[in-house]
Amino acid sequence: MKQFRSSTDDFGMDTITLTGPLPAKLQAVRGAGFSQIMLLARDIVGHDAGVEAAIRAVRESGLRVTGFQVLRDFEGLSGHLHEYKIDIAKSMLEMCAALGSRVLLVCSSTSAHATDDRDALARDLRKLAMLAVPLGIRIAYEGLSWGRTINEFHDAWDIVCRANAPNLGIGIDSFHIFATQTPLTKLDALNPQKIFLVQLADFMWNEIRSVEERITTARHFRVFPGEGVHSDQVAELVMRLDKLGYRGDYSFEVFNDDYQQMPMERVCARAIRAAEWLGEDVLRRSVPLPNRMRLKSNGPLSAQGKAK
Amino acid sequence: MVTQHNREVFACATNPLGLDGIEYIEYATSKPQALGQVLEMMGFRPIARHRSREVMLYRQGRMNIIVNAHISALPRAVQPTETPVISAIALRARSAAMAYHHVIEQGAWAAPTHVEVMELNIPAIHGAGDSRIYFVDRYNDFSIYDVDFTPIPTVDPHPPALAGLHFFGIVQYIGTDRMEDWTEFYTRLFAFQLLPDNERFGILPKGRVLRSSCGSFYLQLIGPDSEIGNVEGDELLQRVGFGAPDVPAAVAALRARGVCFISAGSHQTDARGALTQNYLGSLMFEIVHDERHKL
Repeated sequence: MKQFRSSTDDFGMDTITLTGPLPAKLQAVRGAGFSQIMLLARDIVGHDAGVEAAIRAVRESGLRVTGFQVLRDFEGLSGHLHEYKIDIAKSMLEMCAALGSRVLLVCSSTSAHATDDRDALARDLRKLAMLAVPLGIRIAYEGLSWGRTINEFHDAWDIVCRANAPNLGIGIDSFHIFATQTPLTKLDALNPQKIFLVQLADFMWNEIRSVEERITTARHFRVFPGEGVHSDQVAELVMRLDKLGYRGDYSFEVFNDDYQQMPMERVCARAIRAAEWLGEDVLRRSVPLPNRMRLKSNGPLSAQGKAK
Repeated sequence: MVTQHNREVFACATNPLGLDGIEYIEYATSKPQALGQVLEMMGFRPIARHRSREVMLYRQGRMNIIVNAHISALPRAVQPTETPVISAIALRARSAAMAYHHVIEQGAWAAPTHVEVMELNIPAIHGAGDSRIYFVDRYNDFSIYDVDFTPIPTVDPHPPALAGLHFFGIVQYIGTDRMEDWTEFYTRLFAFQLLPDNERFGILPKGRVLRSSCGSFYLQLIGPDSEIGNVEGDELLQRVGFGAPDVPAAVAALRARGVCFISAGSHQTDARGALTQNYLGSLMFEIVHDERHKL
């Protein structure tokens, strides 16, 4: 048992960060001391022994499933494109439920075929949320920073509010916020009960000059919180969310080509350092109070104790 | 585009699906005769058998109950077990096709159906747990049972209701933090109305009550007991409630037929309602005071 085990309980890894077969990923993440994992659909479907075996491996891993990703380019389509995406969504929802995941992540559409009519986007997400109701799944809608119409979290929040469905909320990804340099003060307008997922990652350079560079950085050069150049902003982000009343999960959404050619245990060790930094030094969640009671964060925003 | 079969359906804003009560409630069980005995004790009579499957129709007054022992090959369907489970509710709608397409467009899941030759294809969607919700529009001059069922000879096809019993509602158990989700499901898809917290029926007032858009029946949503802790809890249709104009008279009539009622704690039989004991491991019925006879 790790010394700071309870302070890292709300943080999890994502299978997207690691290379290797699914059971090995699950074992490495569990072995590092994490209690939850975010699952990428490709890791389930691509499992050598098939989807059923993948589901069994996840359920037997002892890890709680943070969420399941990712449904892309869903909203704003019409006619046969809409029907096609509804079929895809149903398939994702059924896998999500089978895995015991309560959250499906949906990224804002990048499709040139999608409308920019916000009420139409909201209508489609309301329909998706309705499909998710019987399965007990919540939809986390995330503003991708290269989304065609919705590319910042406050825009995603606007759509969530328009849709007004109880199991439709927002997904926050620190990478996209830093990439678009969206002011963190805008987080204060969110209802913490409607934040269904927070994904954390940093990157190694201060500015991203183009959308193309943003996509490349997002898909290849993310690092764990505390390893990049936006540690103060990462700290401010989680402290703002905590102060706002967010008590849900934080998942490390780290796409990194270097980590994909490192032993999983080494990568997981970096991840647990990030979780310890956030849990102990940023949120100051001390151990071990019964029933997941938490101390409120206090003190100045600081990344001095960050993992390096 | 969906063809509008009946243009009057959307004439009523508060009842966009043109709902008109419950046509039948279906139980799945691998012990259909045991369930049949309990239903007969409750005043139902076996009326007809399904033409191609191990399915029986029971009836009293305007209530139809289907006992289904057929093992379904369909995905996400209730499979018959020894303990009966409510596997479907069939709702009367002015146009089944219109109602079905309307809810599918809003985000309901179409449930596949298996139809043999010359049988009716009754449209269905997935509901709570593995249960289904059917839409039926043939319930006046011509009934669905005329097609799919064979009457049992010499049996009165329309046995009167015992003590004025009629469908009053369904109790659905829901998971933790699911009250808003299921409220959305029934209000958005079916235009059910949420009742204020002080408006309750019978002797079991927990949870949230929704009134059907036709006003003729109720749905009660009950979450896990918060005092027990953060229990996830299965989601299912838990029991059926029968309305009775005179609860003590109905209880006396049912007791005379051998039905036992729970008499413990807050579950005491009184003029507002009563709760039967648990039969066959999972089966109970609620009696609720309701003056309406015509349902």
